[in-house]
Amino acid sequence: MFHISSQKKYWTFDNEESLEQLRCEANQKYRNKMLASGKPGVSDAVFLEAHEEIVLFRHYEKRLLDFCNAFKPVMPKSVVGTAIMYFRRFYLNNSLMEYHPRTIMLICAYLSCKVDEFNVSSTQFVGNLVQESAAGQERALEQILEYELLLIQQLNFHLVVHTPYRPMEGLLIDIKTRYPLLENPESLRKSVDDFLTRATLTDSGLLFPPSQIAMTAILNSASRAGLSMESYLTECMGLKEDKETLLKMYDAMRRIKSLMKKYELPKPDEVNAYKVKLERVHADFGTNSNTKRKRGYEDDDHVAKEPRMTEEEWTDEDLDLDDL
Amino acid sequence: MDDQGCPRCKTTKYRNPSLKLMVNVCGHTLCESCVDMLFVRGSGNCVQCDTPLRKSNFRVQLFEDPAVDKEVEIRKKVLKIYNKRDVDFSNLREYNDYLERVEEIVYNLTNNLEVEGTKQIMEAYQRENRDIIQKNKAKLTREQEELEELLLLEQQGNEQRRLETLQEEQRQLQAKRKSKQALLDELERSHVPATILLAQHKDRAAQLETQIEKQKQVVKTTIFSTGIPMGQTVSLLPVTRLEEVLYLYQPIHIHTYGPPVPELEQLGRLGYLNHVRTAQPQDMAGGYNSGLACHRAIQDAFSGLFHPLG
Repeated sequence: MFHISSQKKYWTFDNEESLEQLRCEANQKYRNKMLASGKPGVSDAVFLEAHEEIVLFRHYEKRLLDFCNAFKPVMPKSVVGTAIMYFRRFYLNNSLMEYHPRTIMLICAYLSCKVDEFNVSSTQFVGNLVQESAAGQERALEQILEYELLLIQQLNFHLVVHTPYRPMEGLLIDIKTRYPLLENPESLRKSVDDFLTRATLTDSGLLFPPSQIAMTAILNSASRAGLSMESYLTECMGLKEDKETLLKMYDAMRRIKSLMKKYELPKPDEVNAYKVKLERVHADFGTNSNTKRKRGYEDDDHVAKEPRMTEEEWTDEDLDLDDL
Repeated sequence: MDDQGCPRCKTTKYRNPSLKLMVNVCGHTLCESCVDMLFVRGSGNCVQCDTPLRKSNFRVQLFEDPAVDKEVEIRKKVLKIYNKRDVDFSNLREYNDYLERVEEIVYNLTNNLEVEGTKQIMEAYQRENRDIIQKNKAKLTREQEELEELLLLEQQGNEQRRLETLQEEQRQLQAKRKSKQALLDELERSHVPATILLAQHKDRAAQLETQIEKQKQVVKTTIFSTGIPMGQTVSLLPVTRLEEVLYLYQPIHIHTYGPPVPELEQLGRLGYLNHVRTAQPQDMAGGYNSGLACHRAIQDAFSGLFHPLG
């Protein structure tokens, strides 16, 4: 239930400006940390700007969505929505330069499978990295398991995400029951689903309750099909007398729609340029806690495996899903 | 280990379960028959340490280790002389020193260390403190007497109570017997059908029973098990009353920021359940029904729908 959830309490923000501010702060925090560390070659020029980070974020988010959609067995929509929401929440307070989105996106998907009761084993999960060799999948799995706890911590242990999919089902049931004026609500389903998928790629999940997003999706789809559902709000939702709430709802819907209109896929050349920067930052200043921890283990003779390859060897191209 | 036996005739408890071991002041054991045989004339020497002993000083050995018996004996004797109490001293330190001295004497005598010297010390002490010893002795006897008196009283009370209950039981038995006899007589003489008579008898018996019960209760409730008579007010500190406002239940009210959700039970009546997948028998086995999923979906759909925006 959303109204008593951690999502409402901690992860629903007032406006886009506060989200933007948080992202800028995360970016700035990383810059300050690196400048203070005094590593060679650190200067303001090498870092990604906040708006550049957003472009890259979009890119990787889309990749996450594609990965989830290509997943075998088929991933339920709410699992996908949860994964993307984790991804958004994580990079609200962290910089892409600190944690590579390539890793984090996989962990988000993996964690949401667990949380949303979509049972896949970890080997099955990395088996979906079809471009990878067996060794590469093994490596990815290790990284997932290593950073999983970090992700959970950065999510502040608020693992339950309320996606708009169940509210959408509820609204459809309600419409079928109480609003016979709409003759075939099921015909809307496809465009509603489409709407919700596009909505997950925006900040709407961090700004609006899932039920409002679902309502927007349904009303939007209906109006596209040339059906007006205004009376559903006034009659069935009891907003006839409460003009103020009604207006506020319309306002929210308008804002959700404008958020979605604003969304555009990042341009490939921009992405490529920023990616080079990102890889440089990671190669130069990447805090490789990975090798540090592994070395500690080896000292204790806990692991006696072949020397591990470093993170950098596992590139984006290995993971490319575009031609799936 | 368990073979406690007489050192002279080598009889053990195992071979003669009725063996009685005796101990004298020197702390060496002998069995009863050996004592009888060796000390026919009333006195003789210990078989093991040649100490001259009197037959009358033999005691039944109470402890497994005869040395303990010896110590107990000695301690009794020593404490007769060293009978000062803590009130006789000006401070705790002196009293503790005194007790320490007593322990030393007992230890020495028990283990035959400097027996002569110790005895001299005791005698000297006895001479010096004759008055105090006498006085304390008198005091002790008085206290002893008082204690005994108390014990006697208690015993008497117990006895009396026992007698009373006995009498009571007897009286009840008699009453029962009487009523039984009366029934038999009546059955013999009266012309009323036997069943009625039996019923009457039963009634009476029940009455008697309740009467007895009541009496018992009356007897029981005059006194608490702690010995405090009932009805007597025991002066304790008055219990301080805590004045607090009584808890008043207020039904929980959760703001859902949305339109009201129909109750789970009413979903079917309102027609909601016609639009969800009906539960299969194998689903129902686990306690599932289609209302649950439907209710949850509607709850989620309405929750936060009118959420105020910032």
